[in-house]
Amino acid sequence: MNESRPYRRPQPGNWWAKPPYRAYTARELSGVAVAIYGGVLFAGLVSLARGPENWAGYVGFLKSPTSLALHVLLLAAVVYHVITWFQTLPKTMPKLIVNGEAVPAKKITGLATLLAGATSLALVLVVLGVTR
Amino acid sequence: MPDPAKRELRILRYQPGVDAAPAFGTFWVENAENLSVLEALQSIKDTLDGSLAFRWSCRMAVCGSCGMMINGAPKLACSTLLRDLPPGPVTVEPLNNFPIERDLVISVGGFVKKIESIYPYIIPKEPRTIAQGPYLQTPAQLAAYESFSDCINCMLCYAACPQFGENPDFIGPGAMALLQRYNGDSRDAGRQKRLDAIHGEDGVWSCTAVGICSEVCPKSVDPANAVNQNKTNSAFDFFLRFLRKE
Ligand code: SF4
Ligand code: FES
Repeated sequence: MNESRPYRRPQPGNWWAKPPYRAYTARELSGVAVAIYGGVLFAGLVSLARGPENWAGYVGFLKSPTSLALHVLLLAAVVYHVITWFQTLPKTMPKLIVNGEAVPAKKITGLATLLAGATSLALVLVVLGVTR
Repeated sequence: MPDPAKRELRILRYQPGVDAAPAFGTFWVENAENLSVLEALQSIKDTLDGSLAFRWSCRMAVCGSCGMMINGAPKLACSTLLRDLPPGPVTVEPLNNFPIERDLVISVGGFVKKIESIYPYIIPKEPRTIAQGPYLQTPAQLAAYESFSDCINCMLCYAACPQFGENPDFIGPGAMALLQRYNGDSRDAGRQKRLDAIHGEDGVWSCTAVGICSEVCPKSVDPANAVNQNKTNSAFDFFLRFLRKE
């Protein structure tokens, strides 16, 4: 009898760049956009604390084409992150049992996405209403 | 011109003690309308090369022995039909992320140890005698864990898990599905013991919610759900242990 001499095949270092893992990588990377946007807001807070001139400079930056382009990119990435986050949501929670049956994952994702969309819209309307 | 009645299989071969590293071997099999990859391998073994090694038993997707990489994806060979694969050669390799024993046969020892480590049996809340009758359960209590009890230990989810690929000690999706099957059972009282087994880096926390394990599972067990809901359980348990009276 041959003794066991198992052969180990290493996992390729670029697994994350290949399907089916690419979608996961994109989801995680889009999370960076959320952090960057947090940074943009934080910069605003800092310049507010530094006085009116500094604040005007910040507002000026916000109006610049660079900032507008950045915001379009960040918004797209954040929206992607939110959608994929809610697709992952059912995997992170205990099974929802309603009337003795487990609620399907698609339904949980759908309801949660709808709720997030509705509250975001409400927030935008409130802010527009307040600043008008 | 290739014979249209035949199908080409490229199989990763490895013979311990003889081959320094695995290498592909090519075989042509007689095609048939309902030929599965497992049947193709069996016909190779019967007629072309008797030394080809692979595991199988039930040939009906319930025993979980015939998992292998087919065209790069983890699949059960017995439930994968050649006609459903794109035309051209079919590549067949042993499951990713596992040590190869020989040809398509991988080492399962690590997986078995993991299953043992999570107490894979019901630890009753209250011991009952036969005279007291069976343990009862409502349909809702059954639904809470039922899908996790469908696992056939095929390890396809491990072959799909890059975190297991990085860290072979990671408890992994299949064993966590089994853990949840018992922790979710209303008759069971072993939750604490099992949670103690999965804290830490080699426990649930190696998982980064890649989620492909659930996509490749042939039994729709959703092992990713089992792993991720136990991150919450593990975290709660970590904080609550200080309040718990031993
Ligand atoms: S969870 Fe699914 S893929 Fe993983 S071992 Fe069980 S049946 Fe196989
Ligand atoms: S031979 Fe049993 S699952 Fe394929």
